Amino acid sequence: MSNIRLNTITKKFGTTDVLKGVDLDIDDKEFVTLVGPSGCGKSTLLRILAGLEQPDEGQVIIDGKNVTSMRPADRNLSMVFQSYALYPHLTIRQNMMTPLKLRDLSTSQRLPLIGPFLARKEYKELFSQVDRTAKILKITELLDRKPGQLSGGQRQRAALGRAMVRNPLAFLMDEPLSNLDAALRVHMRAELTQLHQRLGATFVYVTHDQAEALTMSDRMAVMMHGKILQYGSPEDIYQNPANVEVAKFIGSPAINILSASVNDYAQICIQNLILDLFAPTQEPNITIGARPEHLTFCDDNPTALTGFVQHIENLGADLYYHVKIKDEQRPLIVRSAAGNGKRHQIDDLVHVKFDLNSTLAFAADGTRLQTHRKLMDELAS
Amino acid sequence: MSKSRAHIWFVSPALFLMFVILLLPILVAFGISFTSFSLGNSGAEFVGWKNYEQIFTRSTYEKMFGATFRYVLTVVPLTVALGLGAALLINSLTRFGDLYKTIYFLPVMSALIAMAIVWEFAFHPTIGIINSTLERGCGTFLENWGWYAQGCEKTFPLWLTNRDYAIWTVSFIGVWQGFGFNMVLYLAGLTGIPKELYAAAEMDGAKSGWERFRLITWPMLGPTTVFVVTISFIRSFQVFDMVEAFYPQGGGPSKSVYVMMFAIYEKGIQQNLMGVGAAITVVFLLFVMFLTVMQRWLVERRTHYV
Repeated sequence: MSNIRLNTITKKFGTTDVLKGVDLDIDDKEFVTLVGPSGCGKSTLLRILAGLEQPDEGQVIIDGKNVTSMRPADRNLSMVFQSYALYPHLTIRQNMMTPLKLRDLSTSQRLPLIGPFLARKEYKELFSQVDRTAKILKITELLDRKPGQLSGGQRQRAALGRAMVRNPLAFLMDEPLSNLDAALRVHMRAELTQLHQRLGATFVYVTHDQAEALTMSDRMAVMMHGKILQYGSPEDIYQNPANVEVAKFIGSPAINILSASVNDYAQICIQNLILDLFAPTQEPNITIGARPEHLTFCDDNPTALTGFVQHIENLGADLYYHVKIKDEQRPLIVRSAAGNGKRHQIDDLVHVKFDLNSTLAFAADGTRLQTHRKLMDELAS
Repeated sequence: MSKSRAHIWFVSPALFLMFVILLLPILVAFGISFTSFSLGNSGAEFVGWKNYEQIFTRSTYEKMFGATFRYVLTVVPLTVALGLGAALLINSLTRFGDLYKTIYFLPVMSALIAMAIVWEFAFHPTIGIINSTLERGCGTFLENWGWYAQGCEKTFPLWLTNRDYAIWTVSFIGVWQGFGFNMVLYLAGLTGIPKELYAAAEMDGAKSGWERFRLITWPMLGPTTVFVVTISFIRSFQVFDMVEAFYPQGGGPSKSVYVMMFAIYEKGIQQNLMGVGAAITVVFLLFVMFLTVMQRWLVERRTHYV
């Protein structure tokens, strides 16, 4: 079908830089998620891709063709909006017919009353196309209702139906699940992923929910302050964040960030604890990040941090302990499987050790530092 | 259900006032319309349907209905169309929108009776700005137009005092005065249309402005349109002050601008024929009632989406 390239897109609204030179490559049949906090420019980027906004600089290239100055209607992309944007005065069938009618019929064939009479064969074909799509989405019995008579989930499907019915080059989705309740959202995540596999189409999906991005996408682009900070597979971004902002944004509960220092032997030290981990840097002050699942409780030993349990979050299968460490502002969050060893109580004194293979180090400016379990020769000298 | 009667006490002031100042006068007018009552005359006779018979048989009243419907059927479509057009244009502006809103709304705010005097000067056959402007066009290509040539040869029409032109001139002023109000209503309606619908239409392939108007703007303005049309009908049925200002005696050249409200005033107040005046009032109320019922029916049946 189609691959999409965005070349150094910049966009300003007034004096605010919304996008500062964004590059993005989307392969054919890929499910790409743009994820970031609100106001990071992800929706604007999607609207530029759709053609609803014009970039100040840069190009949008679809299948090797520069479509930057082409109208949205000519790009053959379809979009699902956060508010669904179904036409409230039309039934679902008419809603789904609209893109077909506007594209496949001539002006005279679109005339009310006379049109369907003149082009009976074409209309029959379009109706059967609508019926086929409705069957895939299981909304056949909703076709004669109006959007106002549907629940949130049903409207969502109807909006998907309107997007799907005409086989577009790619689907653009702007936070389509954010108006649904939590249970339905999880269900629709799975359904959308299956739909993506079934249709074999390119999906570009915008969300502020990192869980959606992690669960659904082939590749995800983490955006902040009008830039793409990192673009890669969900596993890669979760395990190897390129900088501290990405690490903080992806993962729930958020990664634990601790200030640390590097001693003369390039060893990372937290407070007066010296870790068996080396960072090749000249800067003395760095931060380290450790996800809750990479921290474990242990007996008192020189490589463990000591603190008090401040709060316990029980999620059934897992327990998240909030451990207050002396001189640290934020408590450390430690994950522990519910059936795993002794349960701690609030105010218990505990010792926490790092999984050094998964502990991340970041320079003072936030960029990722490579860490090593052994001191490298050139630094030792 | 509790036995408390507090609710009656809460609604009774409103019910009482509604009865005394709305329903009672209508009932009284309805009663008077069957009599030959006149103010200051102690005795009034019951005359049955005679007053109504007059209304539907005498040529004066035939002229009254003619003038009223000519006025209403010209002013309503034009004010609605111009109001919508102006609202759409202003809505598409990024700058100066407020300026245009003010300009178009000025005639609505001004007292029509004062404006009528200004228009009377403008339409004056010899010193009026309109005819003197038209005269300047004489001798140019405009004379190819038969009507214009005739105007140059003799005189341009006496807009307000010619039997054939008067009602249309008055209608024109009615349109000028009224469309700003509809424009404001339509502007309010336009702000209620979600922007995303237009984005969706654009994605669906609606390329021309007309397609977007047909697909979104017009249907979404449905409830506004029903309201605007009803209000315009009622307002134009009520036209009175302009006619009174232009033609204090007798409703225009050979009664060609003898609109209903003026007829009520002339019969009931000037000639003190309360019975006939009341009968016209009842007919007038029936028109308004019909329009209001139509509006309710349309709002509930067709234009209610969510």
